[in-house]
Amino acid sequence: MVNKRLIISPLLSLVFLLTAFVGSAEVSVEAGKQLFKANCAQCHNRNMKDNLTGPALGGVTERWAGREELLYSWVRNSQAVIASGDPYAVDIYNKWNKVLMTPFPNLADDDIGSILAYVEAVYTGTEGGAAVAANAVAVVEQPKTNYTLIYSVLALLLALIALILARIVGNLDHMHRVAAGETDAPRPSIRQILTSKSVIAFVIFALVVLGGYTTVNNAISFGRQQNYQPEQPIKFSHVTHAGVNKIDCQYCHDGARRSKQSLIPAANTCMNCHKAIKKGSTYGTAELTKIFASVGYNPTTDTYIENYNNMATEDIEAIYKKWISDNYIADKELASLDAKGEKAVKDQWNNLVQSLTSEKDPKIGGPIEWNRIHNLPDHVYFNHAQHVTVGKLDCQQCHGKVEEMAVVKQYATLSMGWCINCHRQTEVQFKDNEYYKSYEKYHQELASGKRDKVTVEDIGGTECQKCHY
Amino acid sequence: MKQPSKEMWVSAQDLRNDPELLAASHREFPESSIVEELGQEGTMDRLESSRRDFLKFLGFSLGAATVAASCEIPVRKAIPYVIKPDSIVPGVASYYASSFVDGGDFLPILVKTREGRPIKIEGNSISPMTGGGTSARAQASVLSLYDTNRLQSAGKVDDGQVTSMTWDELDKEVKASLNKGGGIRLVSRTVISPSAKAAIAAFAAKYPTAKWVQYDPVSSSALLDAHQMSYGVRAIPSYHFDQAEVIVSFDADFLGTWISPVEYAKGYSKGRKLNNLNSAKMSRHYQVESYMSMTGSNADHRIMVKPSEQGGAIASLYNAIASAKGAVTINAPAINDKAKSALAKVATELLNAEGKSLVITSVNNLAEQVLVAKINALLGNDGTTVTMGDASLQRQGNDKDMTGLISEMKSGSVNTLIVLDGNPAFDQAQGAAFREGMAKVATRISCGGTLDETGALGSHVAPTTHLLESWGDAQPKLDQVYMIQPTISPLFKVRQWEESLLRWSESSDLDITAEQPYYEYVKKQWQTTFFSSQSGAGSFTSFWESTLHDGLLTLGSGSSAGSNSADVTAIASTLTKPSGGDEIQFFESINMGAGQFAGNPWLQEMADPITRCVWGNYLFVPIGWDGGNDYTFFQGMEDGDRVQLDINGVSQTVTIVHQFGLMPGTFAIAVGYGRQTVGKAGRNIGSNVQDFLSMNANGYAANVGLAPTISAKVGRDKEFACVQHHHTMGVTGADPKTGKTINVDEKTVSTLGEGYQGSLVDRSIIFRGNLAALGELEEKIHHKREEFQALNDKSLYPSYDEVYKMGHHWGMHIDLNACTGCSACTVACMAENNVPVVGKKEVFRHHEMSWLRIDRYFYGEMENPSVVYQPMMCQHCDNAPCENVCPVSATNHSSEGLNQMAYNRCIGTRYCANNCPYKVRRFNWLDYTTADLFPANEPRLNGEEIPFGADNLTRMVLNPDVTVRARGVMEKCSFCVQRIQEGKLTAKKEGRALRDGDVKSACMTACPTDAITFGDLNNKDSQLNKDLESPLVYKVLEEVNTRPSVNYRARVLNRDESLES
Repeated sequence: MVNKRLIISPLLSLVFLLTAFVGSAEVSVEAGKQLFKANCAQCHNRNMKDNLTGPALGGVTERWAGREELLYSWVRNSQAVIASGDPYAVDIYNKWNKVLMTPFPNLADDDIGSILAYVEAVYTGTEGGAAVAANAVAVVEQPKTNYTLIYSVLALLLALIALILARIVGNLDHMHRVAAGETDAPRPSIRQILTSKSVIAFVIFALVVLGGYTTVNNAISFGRQQNYQPEQPIKFSHVTHAGVNKIDCQYCHDGARRSKQSLIPAANTCMNCHKAIKKGSTYGTAELTKIFASVGYNPTTDTYIENYNNMATEDIEAIYKKWISDNYIADKELASLDAKGEKAVKDQWNNLVQSLTSEKDPKIGGPIEWNRIHNLPDHVYFNHAQHVTVGKLDCQQCHGKVEEMAVVKQYATLSMGWCINCHRQTEVQFKDNEYYKSYEKYHQELASGKRDKVTVEDIGGTECQKCHY
Repeated sequence: MKQPSKEMWVSAQDLRNDPELLAASHREFPESSIVEELGQEGTMDRLESSRRDFLKFLGFSLGAATVAASCEIPVRKAIPYVIKPDSIVPGVASYYASSFVDGGDFLPILVKTREGRPIKIEGNSISPMTGGGTSARAQASVLSLYDTNRLQSAGKVDDGQVTSMTWDELDKEVKASLNKGGGIRLVSRTVISPSAKAAIAAFAAKYPTAKWVQYDPVSSSALLDAHQMSYGVRAIPSYHFDQAEVIVSFDADFLGTWISPVEYAKGYSKGRKLNNLNSAKMSRHYQVESYMSMTGSNADHRIMVKPSEQGGAIASLYNAIASAKGAVTINAPAINDKAKSALAKVATELLNAEGKSLVITSVNNLAEQVLVAKINALLGNDGTTVTMGDASLQRQGNDKDMTGLISEMKSGSVNTLIVLDGNPAFDQAQGAAFREGMAKVATRISCGGTLDETGALGSHVAPTTHLLESWGDAQPKLDQVYMIQPTISPLFKVRQWEESLLRWSESSDLDITAEQPYYEYVKKQWQTTFFSSQSGAGSFTSFWESTLHDGLLTLGSGSSAGSNSADVTAIASTLTKPSGGDEIQFFESINMGAGQFAGNPWLQEMADPITRCVWGNYLFVPIGWDGGNDYTFFQGMEDGDRVQLDINGVSQTVTIVHQFGLMPGTFAIAVGYGRQTVGKAGRNIGSNVQDFLSMNANGYAANVGLAPTISAKVGRDKEFACVQHHHTMGVTGADPKTGKTINVDEKTVSTLGEGYQGSLVDRSIIFRGNLAALGELEEKIHHKREEFQALNDKSLYPSYDEVYKMGHHWGMHIDLNACTGCSACTVACMAENNVPVVGKKEVFRHHEMSWLRIDRYFYGEMENPSVVYQPMMCQHCDNAPCENVCPVSATNHSSEGLNQMAYNRCIGTRYCANNCPYKVRRFNWLDYTTADLFPANEPRLNGEEIPFGADNLTRMVLNPDVTVRARGVMEKCSFCVQRIQEGKLTAKKEGRALRDGDVKSACMTACPTDAITFGDLNNKDSQLNKDLESPLVYKVLEEVNTRPSVNYRARVLNRDESLES
């Protein structure tokens, strides 16, 4: 947080400018970033330079220069602006296939000002540094100092000392016996030393300790699945979606902000974009057709198939095979399907059937059965909204850099120790939330400087019944 | 007055210091039952194993664990929606306004659904009728949705066996039968749905020979006829208990079962709560009855009469009032002297409260009902406490129609019988005759959702949907219409009976091509009726949406009926005459109704408020008083002994239980038990006493049996399940050796200083008093508490007040004056917290799991005691004895004052339960919900294939926010911590302070009388803190310095001490 503030400070001048523009002191790039993430990022590219579902926003203030009020009303309700007949507005509307922008009637002037400030900041590159820095702090890398070398050197040294000492003791003993007049004082052979009672006892003791240690350690991590990375029925890549195209996590995982579960999106959420993007950048028709077959969408005719649930498998097969083969022909610029193509179509179809059906559910249509990666035991209550909306954590903090995972894996151990550690260290978002007013003592202590932060543990976040009930 | 030896007692055994009770109570976990279990032949064979076997098992399990550990973790699936409905966010509960309708019983409810599954019922607080209260039956109704015994498709019935068929086939056969002509009869319990009535009318229009008969299993036919006779309207008036200063009820269990108990309890409690002690005012409630009903147990005075004396009692009260008002008097049959003199006093009091009193009766005989209506009229109560403009439609059955139908069936003139709703072959007074008649009907269609006695005798079943899968409406009162909306698609291929009727009548109003034809039908009905007669909403869509959202529509009040025009002299001769001999009263129990809930294990395991018995109906037998200070038991028998009951040649074996407050010469037993054709929960539970029911001389269903013979003991119920002596708290007795008064549950275990600890025998569990001497009670509580607190301040324990003062500190207040014992909270608790049902045998073994129990204490006169109910759950002591003794700290304290229980940490030593002075901790002796990871750990000690709640259908009712506990762990009330956390999270998300009322425990929302207040002690403006200001508030066992977070408000009666009842 502190370094973020430092980086933001150079932006203050810009903010001042914009403040003058909207005539309010409440505009901030930081707020704009949050608002943009929450409201705009689904359709507008975050780099502000490229078009996505909606146009690139960079330079928008210039384009609407002099008519700021109209821009504001456009954001709140573009339909009204179009209806007013403003030529620029009508032009955009027509340019974007007459698709209306989602109205945001609840955004106040300050909010829109903030968003625009953020847009400009990103566009001009002044926000870039802050964004990078924010990303950098988002993932708390666990310290991975390697002590193995130090330990092995230490162990070697100790073993050496032990050996020397044993040697000295042996020599002294031998000398003592010789001095005592023992004529026949053979030195014990290595074998004798190794098979002596004390050594055997020591080895057994060491084995028991080591074995116990390993057993306990393994027993504790029983059922944990860190790094679990199962193949999924659809080769969905978070790199493509969250990484390259920078789609906000919560656009698809819309439960995270408001529900216990983050929710795997319903197939119709996929269709929001994939009605337009019908071929994938990596797998072509191979993977995306699975979504179409799941929801019953005919990509050839761009219609949803009626009565899809009761359709015979052969009919379904015909529809999607046609789509796959048409695309194959178009891609390869062939006149008709060649033998290689036929095999490709067949393979794709078989793979589709395998991915969408199971013994229990032999139907192609219907929900996609994903392999669940993050599994908590039934006696653990975890709520995403608490962490995402209230705690304002970044998804990456627990899930790692998902935007870099082509196949998602479990990043954290999800062990209780891992939870508790975080609860001990994480600061509660104390200041901005009225809810925490009831912790008067902490507020006083913060004010008097007696305390510099309030952690989750301080407000009872490590008590049993916060997660187990 | 015979004063008992003890100030308070819990049972007859307690009162006479039964050594067996003493022996049973001093052990925390009565081991005898388990020893018995193991001692039974065959049990040990299975368990027999040598030391070598043990080592083998040990070796094997170690090996198995290693193998299991090395195996891969099973792949779990995450299955999202294909198209996610906007209204559902998985993980967030949605609530829908609907109605609980069971025949004429009605409650406005909210249905809580998670991921599209209904899991909990709450009251609809915007209803002017109930203001959000619920009943145990409504709470439990959600479990019936997931009943494994539900019929899953239409079917043909042959000799009680159902062969499924398609609906098309059924429709074809039914229509063929209907078109064949001959008499067509529809039978149902009271129907309060306007749309259903329209469907029936459409059916009658199509088939002119069709006639519809309504009946009520527990009939109010005479009450309806009396109002027809007196006011020209066949309806039940609205009774306003909140405005009544004197309430006299002849036999009517209006807080438990009579007509609209939740509505009545709400009003009643308003007149019973003492909120302002400076001008303390309470209604006075007289109950004239033969056995102690739940309502009677709440009364200030119970006047005991035999069932057949009710006619005389009502007539004598009428005469006293009529003579004072100068109206015509009648010839009153004689009644016992005590009751007579008491009723004379009651009459004076009623006359002093003209226009502010209320007299009711449930006696199903015209003369009695006409007299009671007349009494209200003479007292000027018409228009104040009794109103007809908003009359209730909750009972519409007609006994004479039923009798007519039976004779028609017997004569063979009925060709098709369609039972729309109800189980008339079992649940009404002429069940046997109905069965006989049914045999002569060619086509017998039953629309019941499960196969019941009627369905088994039928030829077809056309199973209807469960209420939570149905569309519909309900008009419980003339001025209020409520909606019924489905919260889940039908789980099986079932069809609402209304739709079946419309399809059979080929109604053009039913669009069978629609996805939900009956929904469209109801909508259409509303458009032409309620929409067109209102003016508020502009469009039908907005009208419909808002009504559906609120769940109700209020209509203008109709005109009040004219004056009472009944001629009492004409009916006086039909008054019930006293019989002289022994009598038996058949009554409706709080939980089972007329047997329609027999398949619901939550209700079966709900303890009866008075007897505290579960899983069955028990014959109440009186306790004989020997004139000294001792009781004799009926024929020397113990509770749980079996006897043969004979009336008029019908005989049945029943289990007895001794009952206080039972009129000598009277017995009583609940109807609705002993069903045969029902799900496994209810099969053969209790005794079937339906065939003892009969019609009285005036053609009304009677609930009295005359001249019963009760045999000597013929056996014993080996699993007599009564929770009264389980988890004993505050029972004192005499030390068998020294004779000193001791706490029976405090036997020392050491041989040194053998005997009972014997300290604190005067424990502060219940404080009670009388309105006239309120000052005394206040002073007593004040002094006691001062003394306790002075002692407690000397504690050596450190204080954690600093911690509790921050954030939240949860607490509760329970008003013992408002608690009627109805047990809605106990069922709500089971539903909310996934509390398992354990079954009769397990309850017998003291293994019931309920987190919330309602303790019942008797006090006052021995023959006719008063009762106080005390809901008892974990007190969340801030100085908890259970926490100190846990070796693994599985139970510890939170900074919010919660006594937390971490199940996954518990190792099952049960030290905590041993150390809990309130006896509220429950141990999972068996794997009741098959929550265990290894199926081999699920024992079959009960000999059942699968325990209750273990199959996947029933498990759909589980609350996903609450852990399902496995075998071997301790559990207890958590103050609904999942609700606390949810309320806090909502506040945090919205960035605001937690408001009072954001968090309500399940028991609090279930309570029909608002007796329970839950809240944050740190919120100065909370209702809880306001409630706690009363000087009548105390804490149970405050003297032992447990510092409980639950507070109770003392029980106060408004007794007239000059009246000896």
